[in-house]
Formats: sequence, C-alpha cells, structure tokens
Amino acid sequence: MRVLAIDCATENCSAALFSNGELIDGRCERLGRGHAERLVPMIAELPDKGRADRVIVSLGPGSFTGVRIGLAAARALALVWKAETLGYPTLALIAAMAREAHPEAVSVAMTGGHGEWFLQDFGPDGLPQGELASLPPQAAADVARHHRVAGSEAEALVARRGSGSAVPLLPDARYVPLLSSSVLLQNPAPLYGRAPDAKLPAAS
Amino acid sequence: MTNGPALVLGIESSCDETAAALVTSERRILAQKIASQDDVHAPYGGVVPEFAARAHAERLAPLIEAVLDEAEIEIRDVDAVAATAGPGLIGGVMVGLVTGKALATASGKPLIAINHLEGHALSPRLADPTLQFPYALLLVSGGHCQILRVEGVGRYQRLATTIDDALGEAFDKTAKILGLGYPGGPAVERLAQQGDPRGVPLPRPLVGKREPHFSFAGLKSAVLRAHESGNYAPADLAASFQQAAIDCVLDRMQRSLETMDEVTALVVAGGVAANTRVRTELEQCAASRGLRFVAPPLKLCTDNAAMIAWAGIERFAKGEASPLDVPARPRWPLDPGAEPVRGAGAKA
Repeated sequence: MRVLAIDCATENCSAALFSNGELIDGRCERLGRGHAERLVPMIAELPDKGRADRVIVSLGPGSFTGVRIGLAAARALALVWKAETLGYPTLALIAAMAREAHPEAVSVAMTGGHGEWFLQDFGPDGLPQGELASLPPQAAADVARHHRVAGSEAEALVARRGSGSAVPLLPDARYVPLLSSSVLLQNPAPLYGRAPDAKLPAAS
Repeated sequence: MTNGPALVLGIESSCDETAAALVTSERRILAQKIASQDDVHAPYGGVVPEFAARAHAERLAPLIEAVLDEAEIEIRDVDAVAATAGPGLIGGVMVGLVTGKALATASGKPLIAINHLEGHALSPRLADPTLQFPYALLLVSGGHCQILRVEGVGRYQRLATTIDDALGEAFDKTAKILGLGYPGGPAVERLAQQGDPRGVPLPRPLVGKREPHFSFAGLKSAVLRAHESGNYAPADLAASFQQAAIDCVLDRMQRSLETMDEVTALVVAGGVAANTRVRTELEQCAASRGLRFVAPPLKLCTDNAAMIAWAGIERFAKGEASPLDVPARPRWPLDPGAEPVRGAGAKA
C-alpha cells in the first residue's frame, strides 16, 4: 500500500511517499511562509505525482493557515484518487520523532499564537498523557512533566525551567510511519488548539 | 483536450460563500452549489476572516463531491479546474486555490487561477451568448465598487472605483445601524419599500464632481446621525439611503459613460446587482443612451462558482493555464495600469 504524508502545520512544509511503510521519496523545506505556493508542486515532484491509496495529514495545532492548506490538499488528492484520508496531531509526530533518538517520555512544546506555546506530555509509548494546552511560556514551563522536552520551543522551555534536556524539532512528514496507529484520526478535521481572534460585539 | 464542449470545475472561496460548479463551454451549468456562511458571521455583524477560512476548509471538499455527484461527472471527465486566486480574504482564497491545485495535479488537468473580479466581469457572457466585447460594466458588491470597460478576456480599463466603502458595504452598514442583521442588502431593500425615499435629507457624495469615483462613507455616517437623532422612522431611513445610493451610482455611471469609448452594452454584476431598484434605474440609464442593458440572473450576481468556471472556460479557450505555484493574492486589480486612487486600497 502506498501512503502520502503531508505536514504544513508549522514553518516546515513537507511531503513524503511511502510504500508499505518504506520511504520512497520525500521533501521537507523550512519555508516560514508560502506553503500555499510550494506544497502542491512538492507533491507533484514525487514519483507518480505522489499517488497513494492513503493520505495522512497533520491536523495541527500550529499555523491556522498552514493546517488548512495541508488538509485542503489532502482532501482534494484523496477525492481524485478515491483514497482514504487520515489525520494526526502535530505534537504526536514531534513526540514520535524525539523518541527515535531518545526512547523515553517527552514533553512537546511548540510555538502557538499570541506568544503562547502548545504543550502536551507524551509517555514512553509515544501516546499522549493528558490534553493539549495553549499556555503562556511560564505556565507551560511550570506544568511540563518530563525531563526531555521536544519541539520548536524546547530550548526556550528548558531555559525557562532551568532543568531538562531540549530536542529542538519541527514536524517532518518523512517520519510519519513512526506514529502509533492509535493517534491516527479518521474523518480528519483541523485541531486549531485555540479559539479564533473574534469577539462578539458588545450588546447595545 | 476533447473535441466536444469544454467542461470546467469552478471553485470560489474568496469571501463568505463556499461554492463549486461545473460549467460547459456551451453555457450549460451542469451543477452548482453554494454553502452560505451567513449563520457563522451574523452574530458579528460582518464577515470574520478566520471564521470564514475555517468554514471554507470544512465545507469545500464535500461541496465539490456533491457537485460532481449531482452532475454524474467524474473528475477525469473535467477539462480544467478553475479556482479563485484572489482578490479576497486570503485564508479562504488559499483553501480554494490549494484545493484546485491538488485536484488539478492529481487528475492531470490544467489549473486556471481566476481573478474573482474577472469572474463577475465575464459572468454576463455566461448568461447571455449575444453579449459582445467591449461593454461597460458596473461591478458592485460588498467588497468592490468599480466601473470598467470590458474590452476582452483579461483586458479591462478601470474608469472609477470607490475611495472608501463599497456600495454593498454601505448597504450592510446601513442595515447594521438599523438593526436589520447581516447580510444587510436585501433587508434594507425590503424595508425601503415601506418608506419615503425623500423622507430623510441625506448627502450624495461626489455627485456632479469631475473626478469619476465613488464615495459612500459620508452617506453611511449621515444615516447613523439621522438614526441617532430619533427623528426618522427606520423605513424612511432605509428608503432615503437607498435613493441617495442610487442617485450616486447613476451620476457616476453617466459620468463614466460620457468619457468611455464606444461600448455595446451597459452591464451590471456583483451582489448589489440583485437589488431590483438598482437594476431598474440602470436599465433606464442604458435606454436613455440607446445601450443594451444586461444583468445576469440573481444567482450569478452574488458570489458563485459558475462565474469562476465560466472565466476558466474563457481562459481555457485561449489555451491558458496557471503554474501550480501560482500565489493567492489578497489584492489583484483587474486593471493594474489604472491610476491609484486615494483611499481605494483593496477595492481598487
């Protein structure tokens, strides 16, 4: 079975094609901006233009826009290929990538919105412990449970906490086979991780 | 490419309508669907960009599947995929454009990135096969207010734009002042039927001025002040506002027609073209100048994907296609050479 994995939830933009779990070809570029321009050409550069029986896409949290771009591409590709679409939480992929080098429990800290960080703890089995939270940096440093911290804010969190070991990481679709099947979600929908910036007008 | 009529899938997501449509070069709309987001934005009294983007992301793919199912068309039977690439709310535009890119690459069909304004500008040709270039176009919606000379596909001369609010925006803001809810255009029009169009003294900004442009911010402020005075009934305010707005539109339209090179017709498009009084008055304006008057059916006036598919057909017929890295554009003037206008911003 062929699987196409897509992750554009952060400044990384990545796409990778697998056959029975083995990487055939993949791309990962640190873009910052421009995922809407780069993602589909990146997929088109893969063998058979990335054609797969299953599309696995990052649901976030991360950049609201990036999450939507990845999901829009995944759904459209799956529509044409009549493929299955599955999604995964971004932080679970970071935890899985960190476990490759350090097979132990890890706290994942990623850049969020309005100066907050997304934080979630993962056990040594790679499964989440507790809910995802969007927290101010100090609150995140206070509640992160594990010695090892991975993600885009790992170094900042360890520095703030004064203890631990940081594994700076951004998600990369080429590592999607590391994910436990139990974190894969059917009928994927974005995991925005925080409310949109909109306030109801004051009652007059 | 097949020898028969071309079939294009159109995708629209630039504001608060998620839409998909299948249209042929023989002007047949095989299927079209629109998912309105009015329910999402109504509590806020206007479109909230992040909510719009979220709704597009949720609704677009199922909508495309539904359109294909209804027409009993497989994506491989489509000749090209046309998607709005701007101008508009960028988060929503990206959802539609990336969807179009992915559909195109997976099916091996060309992508055609469409300017949303070109969709409106060419939509009268979808409805009326006899409409020939060049024609005068009044494009009036919630986000845009322009007078253009449409000379051909991709060839537009902008004669006037708004220096502040768009006409549809003025209707929406008036509706908000009068507590009529969102979207406000149809509500203002309904209430206006019961009011006196001369009952409230209101300004006609820029009427009679040499500069060709529109301005509606002062009119909206005058409606607010008149409403707050407590001296006027809401129906009279709605009717007087609508009359003032129409007086402005007619004056500006006449002004542009006087300076414009010859045209075959006067055409109105965009959401405000759904307003019956605006249509009637423009029809008389055209008749007085011996011009044909063309207004697309109402469902093609408001934002829709059939017009995007049609613009795609017009460009496909010229052998055009867009690269897969084509960017989504928040601003994208139809006439990039037009003189910048103070205050016009994204509405230019």
